Amino acid sequence: MTKESTTAGVTPARVWRPFTVLTRLFGRPASAAGTSIVLIFLLMALIGPWIAPYGVNEQIPSETRQAPSPDHWFGTDHLGRDVFSRVLFGARDILLLAGLGTFLAVLAGTAIGLLSGYRGGTFDEALMRVFDSLLAIPALLLALLLLGVVGPARNALLIVIVFVYTPIVARVARSVVLSVKSKGFVQAARMRGESETWIIFREILPSAFPTLTVEGALRFSYAIFLIAALGFLGIGVQPPNPNWGLMVAEAREHVFQTPWALWMPALAISVLVIGVNLMADGLRRVLRVPGA
Amino acid sequence: MKMSIFGFRPTSLSMVIAASLTLAACASAAPEPVGVIRVGMQPMVQTDPAFISSDTEVLFANHVYDYLVDVNPQNQVVPRLAAEWSVSDDGLIYTFTLAEGVKFHDGTSLTPEDVVWTLDRLRDQDVGSPAADLYGNIEAIQAIGDNQVRINLDQPNPFFLYDLSDNHALILKANTPDPATAFNGTGPFKVESYSPEDRIVLTANEDYFVEGAPGLAGMEIIFFNEDSAMADALRGGQIDLMMRMSTALFESLKVAPGIETYDIPTNGFDLVRLRSDRAPGNDPRVVQAFKLATDRAEIFELIQQGYGAVGRDSPIGPLYVDYYSEEEQIPARDVEAARALLAEAGYEDGLQMELHTPDTGGRPDLGAVLKEQWREAGIEVEIIVEPESVYYGADGWLEVDLGITGWGSRPIPQFYLDVMLKCGAKWNESHFCDQEFDDLVDIAGSTLDEDVRKAAYRDIQRILIERGPVIIPYYFAQFAAIREGYEGFELKAFAGRTDLSQVSLSQ
Repeated sequence: MTKESTTAGVTPARVWRPFTVLTRLFGRPASAAGTSIVLIFLLMALIGPWIAPYGVNEQIPSETRQAPSPDHWFGTDHLGRDVFSRVLFGARDILLLAGLGTFLAVLAGTAIGLLSGYRGGTFDEALMRVFDSLLAIPALLLALLLLGVVGPARNALLIVIVFVYTPIVARVARSVVLSVKSKGFVQAARMRGESETWIIFREILPSAFPTLTVEGALRFSYAIFLIAALGFLGIGVQPPNPNWGLMVAEAREHVFQTPWALWMPALAISVLVIGVNLMADGLRRVLRVPGA
Repeated sequence: MKMSIFGFRPTSLSMVIAASLTLAACASAAPEPVGVIRVGMQPMVQTDPAFISSDTEVLFANHVYDYLVDVNPQNQVVPRLAAEWSVSDDGLIYTFTLAEGVKFHDGTSLTPEDVVWTLDRLRDQDVGSPAADLYGNIEAIQAIGDNQVRINLDQPNPFFLYDLSDNHALILKANTPDPATAFNGTGPFKVESYSPEDRIVLTANEDYFVEGAPGLAGMEIIFFNEDSAMADALRGGQIDLMMRMSTALFESLKVAPGIETYDIPTNGFDLVRLRSDRAPGNDPRVVQAFKLATDRAEIFELIQQGYGAVGRDSPIGPLYVDYYSEEEQIPARDVEAARALLAEAGYEDGLQMELHTPDTGGRPDLGAVLKEQWREAGIEVEIIVEPESVYYGADGWLEVDLGITGWGSRPIPQFYLDVMLKCGAKWNESHFCDQEFDDLVDIAGSTLDEDVRKAAYRDIQRILIERGPVIIPYYFAQFAAIREGYEGFELKAFAGRTDLSQVSLSQ
């Protein structure tokens, strides 16, 4: 027990130190691979627009349906657009949307879950039943319903992700509260006469942090998938947006002429999702989150 | 591909066995129709012949009902319910003699009164059929005796027989209370069941008045919301025929085993139109800017891959050899000039608009190409792709400011001018109103002097190139893909008018 003991009873292994976590992630081959993939995609999203050899919707009529070559690493599609450049631009789009959406969902879900779990009683019961009913609807279906109401604007996707994933995160956060609520350090804080807010955010939240981090990483991979799926269905994003799902949908019709235009964005989706999942799995081990 | 091979063999084999058994059983009598053709189509909305417009709706109606006269694939008027007809010298009185032995599906015989009732209903402005404008020129329709119908015109109409073969002019039983649900036609097939959004099942009309038709025992129209799913179904053997598709899909089906493909030139086109009755389209400079910012030849190559022809902003395409003219030059693409015109019109900082398009064919791609071409001239569009049945079904296509519409091929150019471009016409989606243009349309549609008509059509093409709020980037080819094992299939330029009553299983 060192300085951390001021945060009342949390064991050192559960303290969330980004750098240590990252180092440990690279200690195992699987999580190292996953983390590298995620970092590479993040880099793509950051500098993609500057390193992309062509514009996102730049059409070169004389170079339609070109197979992958040194000029066009991923080939060109039926309208003469460079698939590599579009995949690069798409990375920013999907990571930004999925990342921001997940972050907001984790934020909202954590707040709701902690509060609800700590207070308990009728409020907790009522809220959880509402969430149960929301969770009974498949995420994609819920997203489709919501987009039908909100309209097909791009920002609507953000709302959809937050709305779909907040209940799930809230449930996870709440389960952590329930397991530590009766622990000694919480009781002690209560005896000291700390305020409810203090107890929830300073005593309980730190012990929920590892679980929520892993949950957040998992939600992130699902969010990527959801955005791609909605794009594929042609809902939420409109052409010529370089959404990977939409790119796959557009290329599907041309699959016999330009298979690469379909494979490359599909590959990007799967590699990123696998990467995020490996990383989430690694996080779970490193942070010693039980279960799942 | 394996799937399609396994999916196909058993069906075709059983069909052949069934065919040979039936042939053996009734060798002397006319062969009983056998086999079914399953046609993949987009879902339909309208079932009342007076209001049909999509290929599916027309294909359905064309097989349940009959036209008085029809147009064959060579663009010639041919008899259907009217066995013969005569025209008075002044071109004002048409007398039709009905074919004998024609029965409605409910067993009653066709009478001249049915024809009179149907045509009166179509031209009744209160009923609101889009064909009403087409028949505005009819003075009177009357039944003569028990098998003749006489139609008097206000003024001569050289295309009147073509007008009578208009998609909507299917003959119904007189006084049918609700034609949208009665399905009581004289056509080669009867409606067995209609499940909206799913399929229509039709069975052969054994009392059909045309000898040897239909050649099949049944026909199913199976609805698909998506063309590529339809193509997959064709490859997999869940459907037998698909018509009207994007060039890319056609190219992919061309190399699929067990499938025959057809392509024919048409006068169909995708229309990019700007509403001209309100801002920003009511400023001629904006219309010009759009036209100058568009590279039609590039679009043709990208979207049509060499099938069809480059467009000239007028619905009078090269298929109408007598009327098509290349006299008027289309100004070359000039991005700077377009930008300058926009600035003059008050859009110095560019123009932002939504571009609406149905999700079928090459239209979303056309939108993507236009977006890029226009952007260089300072026109930023956001593409809104909608399911075709929604876009056309809810009349949104008549409302939006900027949109893409697919127009099917018609046998005569006058049709487009009358219903799409004349001031106040029902389907005038660009809300174009131009007195000089309207006068020319009237002349072209009424004169019996062929030279005068040619001159009028030439001027019409010039006006549309100069100031019509429309861009026609290409005329398309019509495509069809059918599973091997059928014969007698003859694709028409307007796919919905394709006559499947002549199709039968190969011997």
